Amino acid sequence: MKIIRNSHLCYACKTCQLACSFHHTKTFWPERSSIIVSRNPQDGTIKWRMSTTCDRCINEKEPLCVKYCIYGALQVVKEVKEHD
Amino acid sequence: MIERGDITGCLAGKILRINLSNQNIGTEETKKYAQKILGGRGINSLIMVNEIDSQVKWYDPENLLCFGVGALVGTLAPGSCRVDISAINVFSGGKGSTNVGGFWGPELKFAGYDNLIIVGKAGKPVYLYINDGIVEIRNASKLWGKDVFETENILRKEIGDEHIKIACIGPAGENRVRGSAIMMDTAKAAGGSGVGCVMGDKKLKAIVVRGHGKIEVAEPEKFMAIVEKCCQKCSNEPNTEMMRKAPFNLYSDPEWEGWNINIVIKNGQDDQWEKEKRNKLMNPVTGVPALQKGVRACYACPIGCIPYMEVYQGKYKVYRGEGFWINTIMGHACRFDISDPEAVVESWLLTNRLGLDGDYVAAGLSWIFELYEKGIITKEDTDGLELNWGNSKSLMEMIKKLAYREGIGDLLADGMIEAAKKIGCNSEYYLIHVKGQPSIEPFRVPKGWALAVSTSPVAGRHLRGATMGSKRYGPKPRPGNFGVTDYQNQAKGVVWQGKTKELEDNLGICNYVGTWSGANFLTISDFAELINSGMGLNLSEEELIEHYAVIGRNLEKAFNSLHTDMSREDDLPPKRFREEEVKSGPYKGFKIEENKYNEMLDEFYELWGWDKKTGMQTKTGLEKLGLEGIAEKLTKQGKLIDQ
Repeated sequence: MKIIRNSHLCYACKTCQLACSFHHTKTFWPERSSIIVSRNPQDGTIKWRMSTTCDRCINEKEPLCVKYCIYGALQVVKEVKEHD
Repeated sequence: MIERGDITGCLAGKILRINLSNQNIGTEETKKYAQKILGGRGINSLIMVNEIDSQVKWYDPENLLCFGVGALVGTLAPGSCRVDISAINVFSGGKGSTNVGGFWGPELKFAGYDNLIIVGKAGKPVYLYINDGIVEIRNASKLWGKDVFETENILRKEIGDEHIKIACIGPAGENRVRGSAIMMDTAKAAGGSGVGCVMGDKKLKAIVVRGHGKIEVAEPEKFMAIVEKCCQKCSNEPNTEMMRKAPFNLYSDPEWEGWNINIVIKNGQDDQWEKEKRNKLMNPVTGVPALQKGVRACYACPIGCIPYMEVYQGKYKVYRGEGFWINTIMGHACRFDISDPEAVVESWLLTNRLGLDGDYVAAGLSWIFELYEKGIITKEDTDGLELNWGNSKSLMEMIKKLAYREGIGDLLADGMIEAAKKIGCNSEYYLIHVKGQPSIEPFRVPKGWALAVSTSPVAGRHLRGATMGSKRYGPKPRPGNFGVTDYQNQAKGVVWQGKTKELEDNLGICNYVGTWSGANFLTISDFAELINSGMGLNLSEEELIEHYAVIGRNLEKAFNSLHTDMSREDDLPPKRFREEEVKSGPYKGFKIEENKYNEMLDEFYELWGWDKKTGMQTKTGLEKLGLEGIAEKLTKQGKLIDQ
């Protein structure tokens, strides 16, 4: 499975970044998050990046970034492997 | 003072103190202050009342510029992003305070600091660079003169880190224009009290922050469960959808009741704007809503109310940026009778870009437009500009003149009251101000609004208790049973709203997510749960409201008493609204009736525990709050009632 973001629903509030850091550290520690969010208030752009440290919140019912995104911008999707 | 348990979470831990005169940099523990007042504005107020001598003026090096990040900021508590900025108020000479959201506050906490206290003045322009334990005072000569957008861009390029957060002033602050703002993340204005003017006076152009640390909470799993519950509450609230479109969109309906209650036109000549103008400005297809290209949220916010606007005309070809508020409609549109949507958005973004406070621009310049209409000033005074109502080009030029102190702008930049003294001809009567700060607020119709704005400890702003009636607006239950235009029972609502805001500003929770908006978002019981599980305390709702919130307001009240001669007279609405009636619309004939207003004021003072006749604090009241030292100071100056 993987986590994807719908850019049209994202408000760039960084809640996902914080929730992810909580999963990893039980603290609020944006630098230890697997997600990095940044936005440019001048041109309106939002950058959202997921690093390879994401473990899909192993041991949780659902990934915390998805659970706490109140805007519904994140969702879990199944990865379909392509076969030759 | 009540100290229920030892704080074990939520704080970054340190207060950073910087002296710009001698470049001394030091830190101290936050906890000794937080045990008394939790955080944010409360800590700023405590430091100011204890450390600033009553002889100090806003332009003295001893004035403190205090940044206080709320106690819950840095966690996932919904809406926990706010920073209080306090200093001596350049308008009233008393307490100045303004509050701002965004991302700068959380970043300061991740850098390890809850508050930043700046004293002294730099000899030449400087900016601060705070990167965790690295704190540097850097040369800002190449930033001086740049607008807010340019300043941010230069700093981002120079420092090379896209994650830095910047608070800065524009040319207005550099030029010590009284109504200057400190701008955060480009578009979020800490506008009131002239804090940008104080920052410019200290020759401090910007504060760049980068934090890599963490915020811990006392009971992590319990805290997250409460956060989830609060988020769910926000999701289920019917008004969330409206808020997420940006609240100004309420006004796209020309029949929306806010048009009749909140609006003051042409510098206070009437409280009613023609429906065709409402429609032209706010038409969903051709008006301001069509210029909104998106919505953004502040840090950890479950609502998201910041519009992102773009205009494709004007000096900068493309004019764009975050922010457009109901205040912009009240100010940059109605105050000047301007209904051209692009012109209003453009003048708003220009205000941000030059680092001016929008309310100051709207109230101050619309006053000048009215003086022009009345012939008190002429084209000879305005460098040839015609300041007739609806003239957006002249407004744009006047905003620039104000920020750069050009021509008549120089006269206005030192404060409108000073300007009125020089202009004469009864011009001060037309200046709408409270305790010296120009105000765009409505007074004649919403009586709770009038009471809160007039009594605000930071001079004429609505966020210290304004109400719109107990029934239709705000979370339920709330005290009192009153409509928006009633005098009776209004004080109960204003004091309750004022207390909840005190608490929110100590915690750093946005007022929109808290008790402000017409919705049931977070309430005091939610705050108590977040504080107790986050900070490791054991506080009741009553203790939070009746102790911590009351201390906060009393600290500011005491500061005003120690630094000014404010009296009951200063808690009255502007004279114009006590004399002139609303001329048209459903509230035609309304004005402030002084006897009824004074009854409201009596009750207001009593509910805060102050002397009913004078509004002064009492010895027993302060001692009950554990503020004996402050009571002693007030007694020495004859500013305390001995009862």
